Amino acid sequence: MAWYHEIVSSLGALFGRRRQEREMDEEMAFHIEMEARRLVEGGMHGDEARRRAVRDFGGLERHKDDVRDERGTSWLWDGWNDVRFAARSLRRRPGFTAIATLTLALGIGATTTLFGVVKQVLLTPLPYGHPESLVMVWSAWKGFDQTWLSYDEWEGWRARIRAFSDIGLFAEGSATIDGDEPERVRTAQVQANVFPILDVQPIVGRNFTAEEDRPNGPNVVILGYGLWQRRFGGDPSVVGREVRISGQATTVVGVMPADFRLPLDYGAGGRTEAWFPMATDAAQNGALPGPEFPRGGSNHGYNAVARLRPGTTAATANAQLRSLVAELEQWGYMSGVGFHAYAVPIEEQITGRVRPVLLVVFGAVGFVMLIACANVAGLLLVRGESRRRELAVRVALGAGSRRLQRLLLAESAVLAAMGAVLGVGLAVLGVRLVRASAPAGLARVADTTIDWSVLLFALAVGVAAAVLAGLLPALQATQIAPAGELKEGGRGATSGSARLRWRQALVATEVALAVVLVTGAGLMIRSVRNLLAIDTGFRADGVLTMRLSTPSTWYTDSTSVAAFWAELQRRVATVPGVEKVGAVRLLPLATDMGDWGLQVEGYAPPPNQGTPGDWQIVTPGYLEAMGLTLRDGRRFDARDDMNGALAMIVNRAFVQQYLAGRRALGTRVRIGGSDSTQAYTIIGVVDDVHHNSLVGQVKPKFYVTLAQFARAPGNTQRSMSLVVRTDGDPAALAAPVRAVIRQLDARLPISEVRTMRDIVNSSISGPRFAMQALGLFGVLALMLSAIGIFGIVSQVVASRAHEFGVRAALGATPGELVRLSVRTGVRQALMGLVIGIAISLLLTRTMVSLLQGVTPTDPLTFAAVVLVTGVVAVAASVGPARRAGRTDPARVLGSS
Amino acid sequence: MAPNSRPAQRSEVLQGTLEMLALKLLAAEPMHGWGLSLELRRISGNVFDVNQGSLYPALQKMLRRGWIHAEWRATENNRRARYYSITRDGRKQLEAEIADWERTSGAVNRVLRYALQGG
Repeated sequence: MAWYHEIVSSLGALFGRRRQEREMDEEMAFHIEMEARRLVEGGMHGDEARRRAVRDFGGLERHKDDVRDERGTSWLWDGWNDVRFAARSLRRRPGFTAIATLTLALGIGATTTLFGVVKQVLLTPLPYGHPESLVMVWSAWKGFDQTWLSYDEWEGWRARIRAFSDIGLFAEGSATIDGDEPERVRTAQVQANVFPILDVQPIVGRNFTAEEDRPNGPNVVILGYGLWQRRFGGDPSVVGREVRISGQATTVVGVMPADFRLPLDYGAGGRTEAWFPMATDAAQNGALPGPEFPRGGSNHGYNAVARLRPGTTAATANAQLRSLVAELEQWGYMSGVGFHAYAVPIEEQITGRVRPVLLVVFGAVGFVMLIACANVAGLLLVRGESRRRELAVRVALGAGSRRLQRLLLAESAVLAAMGAVLGVGLAVLGVRLVRASAPAGLARVADTTIDWSVLLFALAVGVAAAVLAGLLPALQATQIAPAGELKEGGRGATSGSARLRWRQALVATEVALAVVLVTGAGLMIRSVRNLLAIDTGFRADGVLTMRLSTPSTWYTDSTSVAAFWAELQRRVATVPGVEKVGAVRLLPLATDMGDWGLQVEGYAPPPNQGTPGDWQIVTPGYLEAMGLTLRDGRRFDARDDMNGALAMIVNRAFVQQYLAGRRALGTRVRIGGSDSTQAYTIIGVVDDVHHNSLVGQVKPKFYVTLAQFARAPGNTQRSMSLVVRTDGDPAALAAPVRAVIRQLDARLPISEVRTMRDIVNSSISGPRFAMQALGLFGVLALMLSAIGIFGIVSQVVASRAHEFGVRAALGATPGELVRLSVRTGVRQALMGLVIGIAISLLLTRTMVSLLQGVTPTDPLTFAAVVLVTGVVAVAASVGPARRAGRTDPARVLGSS
Repeated sequence: MAPNSRPAQRSEVLQGTLEMLALKLLAAEPMHGWGLSLELRRISGNVFDVNQGSLYPALQKMLRRGWIHAEWRATENNRRARYYSITRDGRKQLEAEIADWERTSGAVNRVLRYALQGG
């Protein structure tokens, strides 16, 4: 029944502690008294007998501690006592406590914030059933690394790629939710099989049926959760009802779950909020029915998602796609352009670009945490130094070394606990900051929240911090020899140098870690500078943009659309501060652009290759508003209206590729494959504009006006972005420009109000995020290291005061003493620097995918890191070192 | 190393023996801590003279194991003292320890005798 006694004893220890303590005291006092009485009876003198009895009993406190240890749960009470004691002694040193707590809080806060991000982005499963067997399917050819599928390809892959159990198409668009306050939302058309492939069911209502997913099928919609809540108050009865969308009566058939997103909704474009059936067929796409392929290919405009058959992987699918494409190429499908098709696991598709950024940044924050711990360990060591006498007295009074260790660990535990609480507070702010500033291009980062697992992580980090920061000082404390310590008067000459070595090692470690962070930050700063130095072809500063569309319900024909934009531009131009105004189909760096087949007069493409051109529809004024540089000819103006001669402006890539060695101006170009469409005449040449991304080569592009595009090839562009240039703050123009639009037509929804600078920045959001995070951490790390260096030089100066006194007496100048002290700080920094550079050389390799125009071993960056670290080390050393310079030999030597 | 680690080691070696002897004495009659301490010193020829206080953690451990039982009683001089008595589990433990001890000491004796004869 031993367990029974154990439990009773433990419970007794828990609840009857006070009584037990009293009884123990009484019992031991009784023992000593009886022993003394015995000795007196043996003839000893009273006082002598008592002293002897106490001595023979041994360390009273130590025996009490041992009894407490034997009670079972005494560790609980002892721990609590230690904590209370630690809290008391920390309260006596508020400065030390504040610095140590803040240091740990910063480390824990930063680490926890980033764990929240990593968890959300990389660890939270995607909102699909079995996401591991989902893939996105892409086509690619020369100039297009990742582009859409054609209807024929979809039919072909569906019939002949055995690895796909099903493959479905979707395409993005936008629609207006009508009502008192019309709202423009991003939407997508999906085939009826897309949601089943993703393995997601509507939470209310149902999925599209095959009947609805047919040309001229009924107007039906599935709503996104947010839209449902926002526009329909989350009313389930909206399902089955008709709502007006883009002027059409549309029946709501379902509502998707709150966390649902289409696979491409994680990108820069943002999320789609309503889904319509694709409702298309081969005939509508000009495709051959069934798994047949037209030699020249056809329109590529669909995204595709596929479910892998059980037991197959993306690699299987890719092997099958490769062999099928090889077969098709033999036969002549799209030959000469390097056509291929491939599948990408959905996880990689969505988080593939963010992953390296996050891993690098998360690693970096781990370094910050280590530095924080090293710093607090250093502080505790110093504190231990000044407490050696106190600890020695405790040992002399019978406190065991384990007890001392516990006491000191309790101190770091209290610090870590306070740091963790404060750190979680900082993490809440940090997550808010991340959510607010998360650039659209970083998938899922904006969804970061603090939940129990993040709190648990903070707790774990706190415990780790307590151990990391407290272990070394606690172990140091066991080496206290009370006799030596007390006799020596607390100078602790010999063992003091061992403790100094520990601190030096800590500081060197801090510097090494800081060097790695600063190197990473330096590389990212260079990369982002390189990215920003790329000539985009336009001038982003001072430009405000917003998206507008002119629905066919109110603007029935192209004439009215063109008239609307002309009038809008005229009115916006009168807003104070507006310099230039124009409109464009797609903003550069905001949305991907595809191309259009052309016929360029006098240019014969190589066999089996087309003459593609990226197409841009603009209004007169756009080129000026966006700040494109004209290289030849003229810009669009009032002449290029509906009735004017068809005018086209092309970019320099167009000229180089299709008009090499010829005069561009006056060349005639037809849009589309038909000879019967009217030809445009090139009237100007502008600089290349980076559109799909900041890096990569620019393809041939042409610009035509909105008014003339309606004549050839012949339909109007309903969604355009207004582009306004100002010499002031572009964001300040948002309100007045909105007011002008409302005046002109209050029914039109305005969306995507952004500055061009914002758009450019979010196009490089990954590298920028890494740069900002590493920069912040680098500065933090340097600051912490500086504190460490400062501390160590202070300690050296203090412990060598005697030696300095002798040196000063022997004629050393204050300058020499300062240099001597600075050298001790710089020596640690140098050691850390060498180690840090070595680690950096190993680690920066992992950043390759984030770097632009700079190698991971960039000599300039490393040189700068050496310089910065050196300056910080010297600066941190100078302060305490100057005290050495003021050494007064008379006073120092006199005091010993 | 801490200078106090040497005596600590010695008392650890003696700890097991101390428990067995205490149980043996308590099996005869209930005793308070000091009485037990005195008895131990007397019969062991002052081997346990150092650190009398180390008896108390040992008693606490045996209490927790359920080998002994403690209660407050009056002494002959009418003082309040904590008396320890052996429990049934304690007797079992004592028998086991004595058997163990005899096995060990018997083995040591045989080794010594063999060594003496061989020498």
